Amino acid sequence: MIDQQVMEETVAEHSVRPSDLPAPPKDAIRIVQACSRPGVDSRDLAQLVANDPVLTAELLRISNSAYFGLVSQVKSVSRAVTVLGNRALRNLMLCLSMRDALRSDAIPGFNIDVYWEDALRRAVSARMLAELAGLDPEECFTAGLLQDFGLLVLLFLYPEQVKHWDRLAASTPEERRDIEIDLFHSTHDEVGLTLANSWDLPHDLACAMGYHHDGPPDGTDSQTQILCTVASCADWMASVYRCADKRIAIQQVRTLLAEHFDASPEHSDYLLQKVAESVAEAATAMGMRVGEQQTFDQVLREANLRLAEENLSYQELTWRLEQALGERDRYAAELNRELELAREVQKSLLPDAGTRLPGITGLNLSAKAVSGDFFDYYPVGENKMAFCLADVSGKGMNAALLMAKTASLFRCLGKGIHDPGKLLAMINREIFETSVRGMFVTMLAGVVDQASGEVTLASAGHLPAIHMGCAALIDEYPAKAPPLGISPDSIFPNNTFELQGGCLYLYTDGLLEARMEDGKRLERDRLIQVLKEYASVPLCDRPLAITDSVVGSDGVLEDDLTLMIIEEKT
Amino acid sequence: MTFPVEDRQGFSVVMLNGEIDLNNSPDARKVILNSLKKMKHVMVDLSSVEYIDSSGVASLVEGFQYARTNDLEFGLIGVSEAAMSVLRLARLDQVFTIYSSLDERLEHGS
Repeated sequence: MIDQQVMEETVAEHSVRPSDLPAPPKDAIRIVQACSRPGVDSRDLAQLVANDPVLTAELLRISNSAYFGLVSQVKSVSRAVTVLGNRALRNLMLCLSMRDALRSDAIPGFNIDVYWEDALRRAVSARMLAELAGLDPEECFTAGLLQDFGLLVLLFLYPEQVKHWDRLAASTPEERRDIEIDLFHSTHDEVGLTLANSWDLPHDLACAMGYHHDGPPDGTDSQTQILCTVASCADWMASVYRCADKRIAIQQVRTLLAEHFDASPEHSDYLLQKVAESVAEAATAMGMRVGEQQTFDQVLREANLRLAEENLSYQELTWRLEQALGERDRYAAELNRELELAREVQKSLLPDAGTRLPGITGLNLSAKAVSGDFFDYYPVGENKMAFCLADVSGKGMNAALLMAKTASLFRCLGKGIHDPGKLLAMINREIFETSVRGMFVTMLAGVVDQASGEVTLASAGHLPAIHMGCAALIDEYPAKAPPLGISPDSIFPNNTFELQGGCLYLYTDGLLEARMEDGKRLERDRLIQVLKEYASVPLCDRPLAITDSVVGSDGVLEDDLTLMIIEEKT
Repeated sequence: MTFPVEDRQGFSVVMLNGEIDLNNSPDARKVILNSLKKMKHVMVDLSSVEYIDSSGVASLVEGFQYARTNDLEFGLIGVSEAAMSVLRLARLDQVFTIYSSLDERLEHGS
């Protein structure tokens, strides 16, 4: 909102140079003022008009014009004054004086006719609304013609902003005020009111000029209030033929006319159609020049075309979105196929669940599509079985790839190296050479003699293997060396012990960290309890029984989980 | 989330805290490696670490390996019991240089 004082100062600053300011011709002002005097004699008024031959000619032309449609031909000034009446004479004089207040070349680079054409649309719109509003048509015409005069004054005061006329013309009435603040630091209604008051224009017209956007102040008489409403509606009606987004303007006119005058949309459109038809007639009557007028049908076509264009771009957007979503789904499906393939390859690295070997079993559950855990075992000579269980740091595809490499190394190197410690040292060097991002592998590797129950076990930073009897913990074998892939020269000592009829449990941290139904992690002590609890379950079923008991009912795993059990062959 | 880094007496001290897991270990990794690129001496303070998983440990291992390759100093200070139990189980206490505090490191001289 522009500060009223600043605006007045802006105008006042220019007021100090009266020659620069638009001012109505003195004769016209004298007639306007005389018309407003109560009890004024029509002969005196006629004499005032007759003193000015130009005004006389104008008055006779207007009185005889088709647009203002007086019943009989008017040949003399005195007859015109009598037929028109004081108020109509006043209004016509005002229109003429305002029209002439600024000469056509008063604003350099600006064709004032363009402004008056727009003003005429407001004037004819307001005149048509007079009937709906119960007001005098000529009064409304004058209000419509004068209501935006402040804009012409602003352009006169700031001629350097004339270059923005197209922007002003393309805007709706509301947008126009915002642009004016931007360009002039004031609005046409504010300036219009100030000038109307300083020129002593009739109160109702001053109100129409000053309050056709924000409404008149409290206490304003009802007729003037309605005149302001008419001016506001006329503003929107004229904008239908001028602004860029005609759909908004048409809709706003329908809304306003329905709200204030109970007009149907059809009636609104009818009035809008009449605007275009009346402008040329009114221009002739007022001695103004207007260009060829666009018909309302053309305006509607333009609005519908724009709507169609926008719909088209909306359809295009929708189409593109559908394409993008389709592409995303295709990529996702492709990725899923790749993952499924990776999972299959990975499964092939684990011992085949279908071919069970006695005395050894394992289970791997992955938290993601692919796992960073693995276990393996295979016979090495009579009654001997090589086995391993490992966990790659991290999860997901990178962990799965390192898992695949480690599993291959174990299979490949393990065929020739039967000493678990030496085997781990060899795998460690291989992994270290190609390790990235600090990734490492914790691993247990061992050989079990299933006839004697002797186990040789080495650990690379892995969780302790648990040696359980039927009812009690026999021993644990914690790591004595760091994980694979960290230091090239790590040494992995072997532990050798007898199974003593018990079982050896190897597991990854996914088991220890599994959330129990109480929300707590399993941890080591509870794991021992669970192992005891399920010690009597047949070996082939035990891994699943144990994992089922520790994985919550939702079955969601936070980490890959692997469990392997070795027992003496019985 | 990111982890704070303090410069103290010629050392860059990376302050890890809370639970270091797959969600924030990439942040830990970035902070540790950035510190090693800026300073010759980097200590990771694990006193406020409540839990560390293998991806978190991998961030420390990567720092350790980067320092070894580039002849920089990398150590752990004030290791919390939660973090220490993980390191001890994996025998990583044999791999990392661990001090009770930065002061203890300073007592060792350059």
